[in-house]
Amino acid sequence: MTTRLMAEGLFEGADPLRLVGARCSGCHTVVFPRQDSCPRCAVGAMSAHVLPVRGLVWSWTLQAFPPKPPYRPPSGGFQPYHVGYVDLGEVLVEARLEVPRRQMRIGLPVRLTTMPAYHDEDGTEVLTFAFRPDPEEDR
Amino acid sequence: MTRARSDEVYVVGCGMHPFGRDETVTGMAMAERAVREALADAGVGWEDIGYAAGGSDVSGKPDTLVGRLGLTGVPFVNVQNGCATGASTVLAVANALRAGEASLGLAVGFDKHERGAFTVSAARYGLGDWYAESGMMLTTQFFALKTRRYLHEHGVSERALAMVAARAFRNGAQHPMAWRRKPLTEQEILDSAEVSPPLTQYMFCSPGQGAAALVLALGDRAFDLCERPVRLASLALRTRRFGSFEVFSPWLPPGPHRSPSVDAAEAVFRRAGLRPADVRVAQLQDTDSGSELIHLAETGLCGHGEQEELLAAGDTDATGRIPVNTDGGCLAGGEPVGASGLRQFHEVVRQLQGRAPGVQVPGAPQVGFTHVYGAPGISACAVLTV
Ligand SMILES: [Zn+2]
Repeated sequence: MTTRLMAEGLFEGADPLRLVGARCSGCHTVVFPRQDSCPRCAVGAMSAHVLPVRGLVWSWTLQAFPPKPPYRPPSGGFQPYHVGYVDLGEVLVEARLEVPRRQMRIGLPVRLTTMPAYHDEDGTEVLTFAFRPDPEEDR
Repeated sequence: MTRARSDEVYVVGCGMHPFGRDETVTGMAMAERAVREALADAGVGWEDIGYAAGGSDVSGKPDTLVGRLGLTGVPFVNVQNGCATGASTVLAVANALRAGEASLGLAVGFDKHERGAFTVSAARYGLGDWYAESGMMLTTQFFALKTRRYLHEHGVSERALAMVAARAFRNGAQHPMAWRRKPLTEQEILDSAEVSPPLTQYMFCSPGQGAAALVLALGDRAFDLCERPVRLASLALRTRRFGSFEVFSPWLPPGPHRSPSVDAAEAVFRRAGLRPADVRVAQLQDTDSGSELIHLAETGLCGHGEQEELLAAGDTDATGRIPVNTDGGCLAGGEPVGASGLRQFHEVVRQLQGRAPGVQVPGAPQVGFTHVYGAPGISACAVLTV
């Protein structure tokens, strides 16, 4: 089965895959995804900035009901899923969380991964980014 | 800021179409009824109105109401400003009156939404399709994520969320124009379907329908028309500044996260020369229980983390120290976006005049407060006095 990433501009590298945002040369604000102007100061120039792969769950919730389109369910149909913000230090990133409910808590160490989001009509599996419990951190 | 009475703007009449769901009536028809009620309440005719502003998110161009009310040539401004639509119509009319455009003006807001969650478009918010396609573009998630973090940071329990909703439905049950008229216990609210934890089904309001209108008058004209005019002491509209935690944010800065509600509330109290502790009846945006909980502190009505104690003591009940959402708020009324802000004014005005349609705050309250908050990071607050 062939796979592709959901949106090319969000990522850098393949193994390991990294998220890429942008950082302001003026005020050092880090944003995700990339944008061409700084939301904080009027003077800085934005350049690509690779984000850390490890972070801590900052907040979380469960999507209990199937969202309306343009949400695209996985080929097996909608299953409730977790979303949250992950604190990467310089920025908080919103992401799907592949964390079981019993393990879920604010402060849980997590690391970047990918997960199947849906399939294209030709059968290509489309991957999006997510965070899962970090085995090296969680003792 | 002290103004001469001749420069003060007062509410001299208000009208409202019941909130809820009624397939037989259009948004525009509801607006017409609210306007006619407000005019009758003020004892004036449509031809007396010298300036008008109207707002609706999805139910048509407000200025076409002149076709129903009378083609008098009145200047009529259309407003589409999300949750701040109602407050923006009041601001437009009040400023026009103070600028000498007219001595009598009208503000109206209405909407009729489809059932279920609001439909969103990633492009409209400047976001890539991936954000919605991967299932992260839902307002319910945002409210849940913000609430979860707030409870964690300030040591508030999930039961406080149920207390907020229980009080809303208790008040709504007594209000003839509310949608949800059935009281629910805290346990029933906690046990209702999980939508996005910590928020359950009955902790969220639904998109609904409704309309509300106000007649505003300048200076002495107000006292000629109305026995007990309600003074618009101050009104402030603010957009977000860097670092606020808003809906549809793929990223946030590490913090602190300062909301536009804080800026708008500080501005209205400063301009009115009053403190949050002076407020005796308040309306807070309660799209969900968590939002009201957060807004209680962001507007200064209590300290961060004090909410649970306040709620448990009954301080936010109509008979309490700081009654909140005495008409049941959005939780009991639903949220027709264009009408919601003017519903708040309607309730506070009627409370200050001692003629609340539902439960009346005892002891002749003299200072009222309204607060709205919405996407993409806007807030409007007002202080009203008698
Ligand atoms: Zn900058």
